[in-house]
Amino acid sequence: MKDRTMAVNKEKTNLKGVTAEFDSVDTLMAACRRVRDAGYLKTDAFTPFPVHGIDKALGIKPTVLPWISFAGGLTGCTIALAMEIWMNGINYQYIISGKPMISLPAFIPVAFELTILLAAFGSFFGMLALNKLPRFSNPIFTNPRFDRSTDDRFFLYVDAEDGRYDHAGVRTLLSDCGSEYVEDVIEDDSSNLIPKPVFYVLTALAIVALVPPIILAKMRVTTSGTPRFHIFYDMDFSPAKEAQTKTTLFSDGRSMRPDVPGTVARGQLNYGLDFNTGIDMEALSIIDPQRADQLVSLLQAPDDGEPAAEEKPAKEAPPAEEKPAEEKPAEEKPADDKPADEKPAEEKPADDKPADEKPADEKPAEEMKAEEKPAAEEKPAAETKPVEEAKPAEEMKADAAPAVVAEEAKAAVEEVAAAADATPWLTANPLEETAANMKRGQMQFNIYCAVCHGRDGSGSGLVALRAQKILAATWVPPTRLYNEDLNSKDYPDGKLFNTITHGIRKMPGYGAQITAQDRWAIVAYVRALQLSRNADSLGLESVPAPRRAELKKLQADVQQQLEEEAKKAADAAAAADAKKSAEPAA
Amino acid sequence: MSHSEPITIKAPDDESLQLPDSLAKLALPLLAGGVLVLLIGWGLGASAVEGIRYAMLAYLSAFMFCCTISLGSLFFVIIQHLTRAGWSATVRRTTELLANNVKLLAIMFLPILAAVWVAHLTHADSETSTMYQWQTAEFDAMGVAKAKQLYLNPWFFTVRAIFCFGSWILLARFFCGLSRLQDQTGEVKITERMQFWSGPGLIVFCLTASIAAFDWIMSLAPMWFSTMFGVYIFAGSILAAHATATALVYWFQSHGKVRDEFTVEHYHDMAKLIFGFIVFWAYISFSQYLLIWYANIPEETEWFFFRQSHGWATVSILLILAHWLLPFLALMSRTLRRRPGWVVGWALYILVMHFIDLFWAIMPQATHTLGPAGGGLGIVSVILCAVGMLALYMGCFLKQASEVPLIPARDPRLVESIGFENI
Repeated sequence: MKDRTMAVNKEKTNLKGVTAEFDSVDTLMAACRRVRDAGYLKTDAFTPFPVHGIDKALGIKPTVLPWISFAGGLTGCTIALAMEIWMNGINYQYIISGKPMISLPAFIPVAFELTILLAAFGSFFGMLALNKLPRFSNPIFTNPRFDRSTDDRFFLYVDAEDGRYDHAGVRTLLSDCGSEYVEDVIEDDSSNLIPKPVFYVLTALAIVALVPPIILAKMRVTTSGTPRFHIFYDMDFSPAKEAQTKTTLFSDGRSMRPDVPGTVARGQLNYGLDFNTGIDMEALSIIDPQRADQLVSLLQAPDDGEPAAEEKPAKEAPPAEEKPAEEKPAEEKPADDKPADEKPAEEKPADDKPADEKPADEKPAEEMKAEEKPAAEEKPAAETKPVEEAKPAEEMKADAAPAVVAEEAKAAVEEVAAAADATPWLTANPLEETAANMKRGQMQFNIYCAVCHGRDGSGSGLVALRAQKILAATWVPPTRLYNEDLNSKDYPDGKLFNTITHGIRKMPGYGAQITAQDRWAIVAYVRALQLSRNADSLGLESVPAPRRAELKKLQADVQQQLEEEAKKAADAAAAADAKKSAEPAA
Repeated sequence: MSHSEPITIKAPDDESLQLPDSLAKLALPLLAGGVLVLLIGWGLGASAVEGIRYAMLAYLSAFMFCCTISLGSLFFVIIQHLTRAGWSATVRRTTELLANNVKLLAIMFLPILAAVWVAHLTHADSETSTMYQWQTAEFDAMGVAKAKQLYLNPWFFTVRAIFCFGSWILLARFFCGLSRLQDQTGEVKITERMQFWSGPGLIVFCLTASIAAFDWIMSLAPMWFSTMFGVYIFAGSILAAHATATALVYWFQSHGKVRDEFTVEHYHDMAKLIFGFIVFWAYISFSQYLLIWYANIPEETEWFFFRQSHGWATVSILLILAHWLLPFLALMSRTLRRRPGWVVGWALYILVMHFIDLFWAIMPQATHTLGPAGGGLGIVSVILCAVGMLALYMGCFLKQASEVPLIPARDPRLVESIGFENI
């Protein structure tokens, strides 16, 4: 190695600088000071450990690294705050923990972390950049003695590119400083190319490494009959129970927990009895206290039922561990029994209704027969069905419920039927008549009602059309919602609400699916539908005052146009008559 | 080791290592004047403003200010031994003396103890309470009072205070005494012994410092609690200790003493630590605030809510800007940190801020009005108490300093410390 160094030394083409080796910190420091005082600027020292004060001894200028770190920190802070303000405050506004959208205290932790992160990046990468790292090789490593700079020797290096560099002078100076080994640093002249075998192996590895991503990419775009292979289970196999399934986890065997007593679920806020029945309960309690009581108890039943259901299993719980399996059926009975008890009770009003409405429905039907033939066709069906339906319902009641309940219910039905429709229905919609409610009513109507009644309420829904097409024998065509007997005078809002809730004839009740609020919104929308069809009979009164003049003008225009057309037609007819009369004459 | 000139170690009785006479003479006037000013301040608070409770809290603010300096100094001494630090040997003596001042503080705590017992024996309610309100009927009426009174009662309070001061005095005497012994013998074994006991000492210190913070400041609002509070007070005290030590050394140097032993490198390091602990204080204070603010539980937010209302909000904002942001930006500069005059200026500024921090933590509990406590006269009484207590504290410090060399003159790491250079 030394020979080669000498050989290159003669050429002096690849000379990079000179290193001097010292065996103590003190001699190194002294040498540093002498080299610095001699005016050399491109120098460096290599030591096995940090040496305090060597920067000063070498005359190295303070680094700009702190400024890079500072800039990194400021950037991090700015990015974090801007990101948080933009994301949470502007782009995707989301209230978290009831705090404002732009909530500085909550933003500070992230801003702090990002400040530190980017300041650290600035320091780390700035340091690498300032030191021109990473470098795979440095000419200084060609000197085998240099390895001891990580062990017990201290090296001083003077770069050949220094302005004052004078090869012989530097060597003498360094020798004078007490260095035994002053050596030239020459450029390593070995090839820069990667050795062939290494290159091939790396290439092969790179190609093999592409296989898994390609397979993954293919799997993403093809379908397969076999279940997918789960590396990460994510939520695909959730231990959660589905509704109405059994569980051994809870003593009552129910997987879905009943509401905590007193819970009011979203959309189930109780607006009062009138709101939920469509009946003026106060008036009803005077006319028919028994039915009023019945309705009240109906509406309150679910609340009373739950605690009772919970108490029983609590008593049974203590016994041995094996029992839960046996108990399940036993426990479920109380749970099952309750709904069973309730069912007939719930149906009662539904059963009552047909009885109520028979007289009400028949009268207009008779009147209509004379007017409209299609309507007359509906009626026979409408008359027979309620009767058919009422009987099985009563039979069911007798099966399911104790005899006493059946008797009571019978009595109630009879009584109500006798009283015709004396029910004090609410005549006004308790919902405010706003565009939002109307829109909501339209939406709900189109979801639940339009399938049969049609979007315009004419009874031309898809189900009805299909039934007509296949001539379904048991099909009762849905009522036209704008029939005159359904107007608000003859068919109050409360009654309409009640019909939606409990159904009528073949129409099932929607009380379980549509919330009371939405049912009232539907009532409002149905009234609007009726208004749109029956505008003539109501006249201009139904139009808001400011728009009446406009409509009057439009009406006048149309009138005029019609008159003109009629006149023309009359003229033409007169002309034709004149011709005709003229022809035979001719 | 890399210093250009050889380092000479002066003998412990060298003239330049002794407290200058001009300063030593100040000790007695400071002690006497301090007591006088403290009494005036206390009297002003008690008679002119809100009664005895206000005056006691003004006294507590001043007491905690000095106490945190001593505690921070004790921590400084322990942590230097624990980390076997070389650079700090010359600064250590100043902090040892400051830590040793807990003897004085133990005496100054007696009025606080008296106030607690007077309130207990007279069955004071919240109107007549002389200090802490964990014995009042109002607090009793709250649900958790029973549980909390197992801890917050005069007996246990006194026991804990004795435990705290006992530990601190023992620790301070141990480190200060051995260090002084070393002045005479110069034995390395002494350093090793101090290093051995620094670990257990630190554990005792952390426990007692937390107890002090909880007992003396946090329990002023007996319903409120923050597990972070001990660390919060500790953060302020370590900051105050660094600032005080730096300022004192500069004071000695301006009288021509310890000039060779305390170099610009030490100022640089002290300034770095001050900078670091400013951020630590802000970090801890903010963490404490953030958790409480985010959880938003009434019993926890009460303390901050009060400090965010009316006049106190101004002080809160001031603390963020002046206790953290301003010194943070200033001390970031290496150029500034290497100028002793500037460093000491900022150190004194930090001490003022530290007092405002304690004022902000303590005084809102003094009155039930929402404005800064006691109005102008109240603030004057608080300032008088603080000045008086600090004078007393410095008098005691100078008295002790006049009897010993200003550096641990025969510490085995002294050469390393004097010759120390920042990279």
